[in-house]
This record gives sequence, C-alpha cells and structure tokens, in this order.
Amino acid sequence: MTHKLTDGGQVMHVGTLSRVEGEGAMHIEYSGGRVTKVQLQIYEPPRFYEAFLRGRAWTEPPDITARICGICPVAYQMSSCGAIEDACGVTVSEAIRLMRRLLYCGEWIESHALHIFLLHAPDFLGYDGAIEMAADHPTVVERGLRLKKAGNDLMDLVGGRSVHPINVRIGGFYKMPTVAELRRIRPVLDRARDEAVETVRLVAGFDFPEMEQPYEYLSLRPAVGYPIESGGVVTTAGKAFAVQDFTRHIQEQHVEWSNALHATLDGESPYVVGPLARYTLNFDRLSPIAQDIAREVGLGTTCRNPFRSIIVRAVELVYAYDEAIRIIDGWRDGVAPAVAVPPRAGEGFGASEAPRGVLFHRYVLDDDGIITDAQIVPPTSQNQPSIEADLRTMVQGWSDLDDHALSHRCEHAIRNYDPCISCATHFLDLTVKRS
Amino acid sequence: MTTSQGGVRPVLVVGLGSPDRGDDAVGPLVAQRIATLRPHGVQVLEREDPTALIDLWDGRDLAIVVDAVCSNGVPGTLVIMESGVDGAPLTDDAWAGAGRGGTHAFGLAAAVELSRALHRLPRRLVLIGIEAGGLDHGEPLSAPVRAAVQPATRSIIEILSEAVAGPILSPALGQGHGAGCPGGDR
Repeated sequence: MTHKLTDGGQVMHVGTLSRVEGEGAMHIEYSGGRVTKVQLQIYEPPRFYEAFLRGRAWTEPPDITARICGICPVAYQMSSCGAIEDACGVTVSEAIRLMRRLLYCGEWIESHALHIFLLHAPDFLGYDGAIEMAADHPTVVERGLRLKKAGNDLMDLVGGRSVHPINVRIGGFYKMPTVAELRRIRPVLDRARDEAVETVRLVAGFDFPEMEQPYEYLSLRPAVGYPIESGGVVTTAGKAFAVQDFTRHIQEQHVEWSNALHATLDGESPYVVGPLARYTLNFDRLSPIAQDIAREVGLGTTCRNPFRSIIVRAVELVYAYDEAIRIIDGWRDGVAPAVAVPPRAGEGFGASEAPRGVLFHRYVLDDDGIITDAQIVPPTSQNQPSIEADLRTMVQGWSDLDDHALSHRCEHAIRNYDPCISCATHFLDLTVKRS
Repeated sequence: MTTSQGGVRPVLVVGLGSPDRGDDAVGPLVAQRIATLRPHGVQVLEREDPTALIDLWDGRDLAIVVDAVCSNGVPGTLVIMESGVDGAPLTDDAWAGAGRGGTHAFGLAAAVELSRALHRLPRRLVLIGIEAGGLDHGEPLSAPVRAAVQPATRSIIEILSEAVAGPILSPALGQGHGAGCPGGDR
C-alpha cells in the first residue's frame, strides 16, 4: 500500500523490502580447477576520518574517531588519546590507565560475545546464522546475549553509554565511577566469568578444519599484563619496537583491486594481528583462570589455526571479565579523573589492541594544538593480505562447490578475523570466474 | 528494566542509527523529536546496536523502532512494517537497515527474528523506515530525509495515540510535532 504524503514524499506499508549489496566484495578465478586469482575488497571508513581530523583541535579525536565503528569505539578513543598525549608529552596516572583498561574490557566483552555466539558459532554448527541456531540452541544464544549485556553494562557505567562512550577525554575521563557503583556490577561480571569459562569448553568442542598459518604474528606487549590499552610492539619473528617506530616498520600500500590499503611489515606481507597474535605472543600474561581453561581444552600456549580463533576469543573473554573484576576490586574513590594536557607542537603515536587487533593512530599538532596530519592504521587493513592468503590456500579445495556454498565457506574463513564487516549473516558479494 | 507501576513495561520508541553517517542519523533524530513531546507512558531511547533491542522490547505490549532503510526507493519515503509475536516472520533481507560497513550492523531484521526464536518479541512491533539517500560518514541529513522527520514523528504519535489509553500528549506540547531540541535518553 502506498499513498502520497502532503509534503510530496511517500509512505508504504509493506511486508518485505529488497536487499542491498554486501559490504565486502570477493573475486575468485579458477582455471582448469586451479585457483589463479583471489581478490578481496573491504569497505574501510577510517580513510575519511584522516582528512576530517585535519584542522580540528587536539581535544577532539576521541569523540570524532569513536564514530568510526559502533563495535570498537573505545579502541579508537584509547589509541587517539595515547597519540595526542604522546605528542603533548603527557603521561596519565596509573589509576586513569586502569580505568581505561576497565572500559576497554567492556568493549572486548561486547565484541567477543557478539562474534562468538551470534556470528561465528553458527558457521561451525552448520546454521545460516544466529536466528536459525537459536531455534535449536536457544540457551546458547541466550548465554551469548547475557555475556554481551554484561559488557554493555560495564560500558554504560564507565563510558557513560554502551555505544560511543561520552565519558572519555584527552588526559582521562570527565568523571570516575565510584567504588559503590563498581561494586554493584561485580556480581554480574562474576557470573559472566563462570559462563565464559563454560563457553571456552563449548566452542573447543567444535570441528575445526586443519590449517597452520606460517605468517608473522604482531601484537602489543606492555610492561605488565595482557595487551589491551597500550604496550610496545612485538612479533613472532623476534622483532620488538616502540609504538613511535610503528610507521618505520608498517607501511600501507594501495593495491589495484581495492580502495582499501594493504599493510606490510618491514616490506613483508602478510602478517597477522588480533586474538591469535595476542595469545601466541602473550600467553604468559593471561590470568591463571584464563591459562587454566586454555590448557584444559588443549589449546596450548600458541595457536596458529585461524579457525580456532573462536576458542582464543573465548579465552580472552574469560580474561576480560577476570581483569575487570581485578580492577574493580582494587579501585579506590578520590582519584583525579583526568590530567591536564596542554597543547604543543609535535608528532604523537598511540596504539591499542582493538578486539580484532592493533589499532594505530598518529597525529601532528601545531603550536595551538590544531591537527595538521592524522594517520589511522586499523586492524582490518593489516589483516586483509592474510585473509586473502588464507582464502587462496582454502578455495583451491573448494573448486567443485557452487557459488552459494563457496560464498558461505569464504564468509566463514573471513569471519575468523572478525573484520569490520562481518556482522551480517551474508556480507560478501562473490564473483567467480571459471574457465 | 523499566516497568510501570503494574509491572508491565511501558510502550517503547527507539530511534536506531549512527548520528554521523548521513541519513542513518534520522532514527535518533525522530526519537529526539518524540522525546521532546514527552508522551505519557512512553519510554523513548536512541540506540545504534540492533542487538540491544532484544532486551529493550522484551515483554512490551508495543514497541516502535524508527530506522533508516535502503531499499532502492525514493529517499525520504516512509516504510511502515508491522511485526510482533503474531506477525509473519521477516526474511533475512527484509530490513536492509543502514549503519552498515564499519558499524558491524547485526541487522534489525536479525534482531527481530532472533527475538522471535527466543520468544522475546513484543506483542506488537512497528518498524518505521525512512528511505535513506546517502550514508557517508560525516554528512548531514539529505534534504528529502530531513523533510521526512516530521511525517515520521506524526506517524509515531498517531500509532501511540491509537494504542495507548487516554491522551498521550499534554495540550501545550501536542501542537507541533517535530519542533524542539534533542531530548532522547541515550
């Protein structure tokens, strides 16, 4: 039913709507049953923001860049705060670092719970998506929603709201939560930690294709603790460098088939960031409860099978609850919520571990604190070459599949990386050329 | 969980969308207009994450969600879809909502059908879509979508007036739907 509105518009009462195209595009070419080409294109919003940030004040990046992603706004806020504070020569207090880490735990929880239960688990259990899985496994989906909500509640409390936190500023926070407020949320986190342990056992029982990634892994590694809000850079090839040297090692390049940039590490590609890299390079930094459950399910201290990333995410979920509880238990009232960050001319660098991998920011400020240059290297552009390399390996064995089945398999393989497009059940526009 | 005195959750209006992605901001903007009118017995919220809706609308008699939508239609067109416990299932591609790309949209249709599978849908759910013209980061609302804010607000008030017993707007505020400053509960 359609009728005209008085202002010339239209209103329709309808039963269904047409579908729009996916956010990812993938092109595969087979020749004589052999793969000759695999090209993946992923839409990448940070590029717009780099231009948008130029001319803005040094205080603005946390609020502006938080808008890039509805799932990892805290990552953008923390990396931008770190970079601006580095440019201005300011170090925040330990209490502020801990509160940032607590907020970041909320984001990891939200993101990992969503990905494990609503996106990745259906791939393993043979369902088209979470809706179909919920019909047969409602308690599993309900658990996922409960675990995610615990992260939402933490984000609400520390960040002011669960999407795009408004309590973060350069130098710290506008307001610190009180001990009483934090204690109120602790029982929720306690129960969620137990359920997260059960989640590790659940997902470790899935069937995993055999695959061993030979690529270099890269993550942050702070002085203490598992990498979340800060740290120097380390790799499985034994490299170690400061975040200030990030752009000397990581270069981004255009490739002809994609408007997204592809990153290289010291000229080599691919390399991997994200849960597998963090875990493999920092197993010793996980809390005892997270290490114990990883050992119990036979994960080992390193993991190079991208399909097993769902187990690693579940272990990180346990750690995020555990770490949040540790910070809450140690919190004391009366802490200054922020330190002053007066502007000065200079260049600053910041990096943090977004749920899907290292997120790097660089800013150049003038004397008045106006941003004259900005650079953002998101995890998905760093992982894109390794996603393509994984697919090149795997699609060789899938040449007999029809396009629909092939698309589903490719989506599963891409979702191993939790790239910034994978929330839709079907997100890939696949073209296949067979000759 | 917000409940009224009788233990029943009040009618819910949610504006869904990202405020910084062009026409995707229209859902929150309409919600702000509704909040400014302070309708009696109605909770008005803004959200960006569709999975949050499952907890929000669970146990309600009526929930209304307003969102930008992409269906290759004329920008600014209002699309009104009825769903709920007794409604027909939406297909996976039934509500190609905005806020996609970097925003990790687990879509509105998925949230509806996941709620149905978990028996957590409101009795009646009305989805109000506004056909988007552009979803570019940092862009303002397009002119046709801006023009649709008032009709969308009016449509929601009409639905609320039919569904809620007694007057929902105080006389002074009921004159001009759409005027006013932001006032939604984040």
